[in-house]
Amino acid sequence: MFNLKMHFTTLAMAVGLACSAHAADPIRIGVSGPFTGGSSPMGVSMRDGIRLAVQEINAAGGVLGSQIQLVERDDEAKNERGAQVAQELINKEKVVAALGIVNTGVALASQRFYQEAKIPMITAVATGTQVTRQFLPPRYPESYIFRVAANDSIQSALIVDEAVERRKFKKIAILADSTNYGQLGREDLEAALKQKGIKPVAEEKFNIKDVDMTPQLLKAKAAGAEAILTYAIGPELAQIANGMAKLGWKVPMIGSWTLSMGNFIDNAGKNGEGARMPQTFIQEPNTPKRKAFIEAYQKAYKVKQIPSPMSAAQGYDAAYLMAAAIKQAGNTNGVKIREALENLREPLVGVVQTYNKPYSKQVHEAVHDIGTLAIGEVKDGQVIYAYASDKAKTGR
Amino acid sequence: MDMLLQILFSGIALGMIYAVIAFGYQLTFATSGTLNFGQGEALAIGALIGLSVVDRIGNYWLTIPVVLLAGAIYGIGVERLGVRPALKAKSEGWIMATIALGIIMKNIAENIWGRDDLKFPSPVSEAPLHLFGASVLPMEIIVIVGALALMLAVELFNRKSIYGKAIAATAADREAAGLMGINTGQVITFSYALSCAAAAFAGILIAPLTLTGASMGAALGLKAFAVAIIGGLTSGLGVIIGGLILGLAETFTGFYLSTGYKDVPGLVLLLLVLAFKPAGLFGKTAIKKV
Repeated sequence: MFNLKMHFTTLAMAVGLACSAHAADPIRIGVSGPFTGGSSPMGVSMRDGIRLAVQEINAAGGVLGSQIQLVERDDEAKNERGAQVAQELINKEKVVAALGIVNTGVALASQRFYQEAKIPMITAVATGTQVTRQFLPPRYPESYIFRVAANDSIQSALIVDEAVERRKFKKIAILADSTNYGQLGREDLEAALKQKGIKPVAEEKFNIKDVDMTPQLLKAKAAGAEAILTYAIGPELAQIANGMAKLGWKVPMIGSWTLSMGNFIDNAGKNGEGARMPQTFIQEPNTPKRKAFIEAYQKAYKVKQIPSPMSAAQGYDAAYLMAAAIKQAGNTNGVKIREALENLREPLVGVVQTYNKPYSKQVHEAVHDIGTLAIGEVKDGQVIYAYASDKAKTGR
Repeated sequence: MDMLLQILFSGIALGMIYAVIAFGYQLTFATSGTLNFGQGEALAIGALIGLSVVDRIGNYWLTIPVVLLAGAIYGIGVERLGVRPALKAKSEGWIMATIALGIIMKNIAENIWGRDDLKFPSPVSEAPLHLFGASVLPMEIIVIVGALALMLAVELFNRKSIYGKAIAATAADREAAGLMGINTGQVITFSYALSCAAAAFAGILIAPLTLTGASMGAALGLKAFAVAIIGGLTSGLGVIIGGLILGLAETFTGFYLSTGYKDVPGLVLLLLVLAFKPAGLFGKTAIKKV
């Protein structure tokens, strides 16, 4: 009896194997990002957004008759680890396309492997302006690096637009950290201010983990700054907000999207209220697509508040864009997928925006101008729309 | 005028933060000629344990003894594992050993508390006080008073109690003290316990001003080391003065020259001290009078 059962099991397994061999092989897509450590709220939200999109795509029958299979790797926000992960995904896991990457440094260190292997990569979160320009024609015949996030020069343009056009500030101070992120962002801000004919009254620098921002803030104050533009990350931004409260000097803080991160909002507390920043997506259901996305995310991951809403939305859209490109390409050849991405025929209704021919051979950014973005404001520990007009127009 | 005063106040508060950490270096160097390069990590561990305890019991002041105890245990561990074997072998192995223990502790802390910076609830009001037109946070005053009180308590202990005399004797001449029947091994262990307890205490003292996280000690530990060199590794008063010099140099350079160069003058001073007075501004040179 026992033997009989064994035989039966073996038989069943054999049949199962035969069946799965007949079905099309899954399409393997690499996902990398920081799933542990300080950048993990962004990395995990992004990954969960990608997973959500892929579950939906697979439930609807997959792409080209195959299911999409995600191969996920943690890059720990470290440049060298990112480079390892990219090589592993390409050479060992044989992915046909890749999504992800949160940190600009990791993107710059790892994307050349995708470029060399002719595997299309959509950067979901990293914002460094250089990221998509690295391999663009005419320096290279074609680039395999695309992006859905809003790059730093577009963010800077919107930050300056908010400060100078909408709120009419004339005297502006820039506070940026000494990392690549902060200093490249500072250059973008300077360039955007120059276009408006404004020279900042103070430009101050600080290091990661600096515990006292008094000299920087006093210089801005002494120069008569009416607003502070920031390019830095959460903890130091919180030190700036707390330092202003200490000096009893409160001017508006406007800066890059990192002002929407939990480690700024939590550590600055009430001192961070009113800070404003560019956002591709704010967790409010102002379009049917956004409503569906927010509800699906909340249901799938049993949370009320998405840890990093922008990262989740951008990850979700990146996965749909890649799936659309593979479908249009008709196969999983990297060159064909890139060509499809550069000439997407059907408009795609995404969470961040509706993608209508987002990319071309020369343009690998999905966010082309500041009109796609909204200004977010920290209020009661959450990011909300600063302007009702932004709420009405974005996400469409 | 009030700008000047504001910079002065901020410089002093920052300087005292450096001084209280540097004080820990001075304690162990005096007795054993060795340093705990994991001092910054002891500070972070102290702050993180303090944060967990504050979350449980809700009272900042009651966490102080817990944190002191945790720091002391950490110090004993460092001495037993990293320093004693090297002292026995008369090698310089303690340098790498204390760095290694620091890295291990940092990794453990990252796994327990995560890598994100956390907010430490302030035990006093976060609204600034206005003194002569400059703003000072109540917590900054507590840091200054707490640092001075800690250093005073340790100095009094060293001068007045019999155990303190054993420490002073060991600091003056370890071998002679040993011949006089003082258990110098125990004295060194004790000085490490005291040193790390001081660092852990510094951790909860400054945590409400800075943010709390496993990596909070790295930059501070290095600055404090510079302070200890400038002030002199053998002098308690030296680290206070050294701390004030570095703190004021940073804030004044930041305001009057450029925030991009604020760390430079302090470090130039460090090089000058090393070149012209290697024992530090207040340190005793090699010949010791007892």
